[in-house]
Amino acid sequence: MPVVERIVRGGTAEVNRNLYRTVRNIVLVALTGVVLAGFLIQIPRIQILEHTARNLYFHVPMWFTLMAAVLVSAYHSFRYLQTGNLIRDVRAREAALVGLVFGLLGLFTGMVWARFTWYQGTNIWWNFDPKQSMAAVQLLIYGAYFVLRSAVEEPRQRGRIAAVYNLFAIVTVPFLLFILPRQMPSLHPGADGNPAFSEFTAPSMRWVLYPAFIAFIGLFWVIYTQRVRTSLIKLRLHGDVES
Amino acid sequence: MNHQVDLTEIAATEGGAQTDTTGLGETVYDTLWGMSDIPGRAPEGIEQVMLAEDKLYVVLAVVLIIWFGLIFLLLRTDRQLDKLEQEVEHRVPQDHDMV
Repeated sequence: MPVVERIVRGGTAEVNRNLYRTVRNIVLVALTGVVLAGFLIQIPRIQILEHTARNLYFHVPMWFTLMAAVLVSAYHSFRYLQTGNLIRDVRAREAALVGLVFGLLGLFTGMVWARFTWYQGTNIWWNFDPKQSMAAVQLLIYGAYFVLRSAVEEPRQRGRIAAVYNLFAIVTVPFLLFILPRQMPSLHPGADGNPAFSEFTAPSMRWVLYPAFIAFIGLFWVIYTQRVRTSLIKLRLHGDVES
Repeated sequence: MNHQVDLTEIAATEGGAQTDTTGLGETVYDTLWGMSDIPGRAPEGIEQVMLAEDKLYVVLAVVLIIWFGLIFLLLRTDRQLDKLEQEVEHRVPQDHDMV
């Protein structure tokens, strides 16, 4: 019974702690570098945007991190359905949870950014811009994943139902975050007649943005692994992660 | 009143443009801060750096303090997890697992 054996050893053997520490340290240094570079490197001054263009380094990686997180989550849901290994369910849950937090940060940072650029002088915080609305719907879909989980008592059944839902949820991501908002008149870059990333973006900004993607996804991985370790201790103590 | 003139001069010599966009000439805080007895000097040393770019680097300093605080928390949580994992390993027999 290799599956059971893995779970029994769960608490400490599941996570490679040396690898975890190495990656964690690299991530922390890299993210410090991203913050420094994000503030220190000169950027072209553009009307309306001004210094807020630096938000590119912090706001956009939130969404890329969400996407990476829900991919990880969906992968483990898929593996759960294959193996029935509860650790897969733990991983799917924690990845979705940390991903959801990054998504919320993306939504709120976007609101603040929009308030002082798109809606400058209008005192509008939320105007149902398609990109923002779809992003909010996306977060609700992942919020419902946790509502669904809390509704099922039995761990194995909960894992199975949640995994199936999660696989449906991942399918909505490209539609809600990319395809639909691009067909509608949105103020967000990447919408109808509005380039996401173009000749307007200084090449120097890409040298900060791309590392920022990797660093924030790395931060997700660190927090996610921390939470998996916590849940595995719970699993060992109570036989269930949601207790 | 003298100080106020000094402060305006500092703002003008530093980074170039005056950044007050209120149109009032002096902001709300100027009436308070401008009257302080601290003698205004032309920026030197650390001020020369921190006051540039519309004081953007002050924000950087704040963000870094927060970030280092978060790193500290993250590392502490890791240490606690290490200990807990070892304790669980010792105290909870393997057949306790329900799975």
